Amino acid sequence: MDKQLCVLPCNGLDKSLGVIARAVALNLIEKKPDFNLICPVLLNTGDEKYESNLRESRTIVIDGCMTRCATKLIEERNQKIYKRIFIPDMSKKLKIKPGTSLKLSENAKKLAEMIAKGFIEELKVSEKEDIVIVAKTERMDFFDITVDKFYFQVPKEGYFFNENDCWIKPDSNRALIGITDYLQNQSSDIMFVELPEIGQEIEQFDDVGSFESVKTVLQLISPGSGKIVAVNKALEEHPEWMNQDCYQQGWFAELELKDFEEDKELLMDGPEYFEYMKEKILKEKELLDKEKED
Amino acid sequence: MSKSYDAEKETFMGIPRKQIPWWPTINYEKCDFCMECDKFCPHNVYAKNNDEKQQLIVKNPYNCVVFCRACAKTCAPDALSFPDKRETTNLIKKLRSENK
Repeated sequence: MDKQLCVLPCNGLDKSLGVIARAVALNLIEKKPDFNLICPVLLNTGDEKYESNLRESRTIVIDGCMTRCATKLIEERNQKIYKRIFIPDMSKKLKIKPGTSLKLSENAKKLAEMIAKGFIEELKVSEKEDIVIVAKTERMDFFDITVDKFYFQVPKEGYFFNENDCWIKPDSNRALIGITDYLQNQSSDIMFVELPEIGQEIEQFDDVGSFESVKTVLQLISPGSGKIVAVNKALEEHPEWMNQDCYQQGWFAELELKDFEEDKELLMDGPEYFEYMKEKILKEKELLDKEKED
Repeated sequence: MSKSYDAEKETFMGIPRKQIPWWPTINYEKCDFCMECDKFCPHNVYAKNNDEKQQLIVKNPYNCVVFCRACAKTCAPDALSFPDKRETTNLIKKLRSENK
């Protein structure tokens, strides 16, 4: 971890959570003076110093709301986000309600302080755990369909699917989980992933994490139940693997299975999911064509 | 790809969507009507409303994707809740076995 770190808050002045994003950035800089603070307003004017800082550093973005202004500023530059702080999530996690005032309340100050402190601790741990586990790639056979400019694949065997377009690949008492080609097509270029915590107990259909593109934020809804025993940390550096190779390198997490025979009752195998997906895609195309006609 | 669904015809795991009670409930004591959830949801589950006390409503509950809770992530005051997932899973299993 040699690269410098940049901190880019959204600075949303018209929303209480944006004001907190700014306060978190200031807290981080106070605690870590070697971090580079980036002003989103000046960055937007094309400031060359900031642009070069961003190119040469790892960036921590701080978003106050789902408009995700800080995230978008990085995505527009086709750069990667190293870590992201999302204020509503942190407010829930730390159980501090910041209120709606545009001036920093005592609670909001406390929240900003705690987020910054916790983040620096987390950063120390993740720097130690900078280990990348990549799934083995193997030759696979697919069902496929092309609709307009979209190409969709579904593995013929070895994988099971839920109707939320996520897959599970069991291997004795463990299983990898991830998203299908349909879901990665829906989301377009994935820029950021939020992975679950190792050790977390998951029930079937729990959301185990999320991933974001410029277009949207989607959740991975687990096809299986069990304990998270590994996560694909490499996706933090290479979220695009979820687009490029969603069934292998783009795996999301590994589960120690609880009762896969029971989970399987509500899952589809490859041929069944392919038919389900095909019907869904064709229905959507029909609706889209109809909208165009109207 | 369009996300407009005809809820009347939709099924989830082989069960008519209208038999699965899965959609968000808004806690009006907590909601500050920021409309982040409405802006976020691509399925038009929410709508703006003229009532001063309930400026946000769940207009199309059956458009909500079963087991999806993504909009709750956007809600800073934590005003959105969803049905119990285990109960919903059991209901789906029961309805599927009845339909066999």
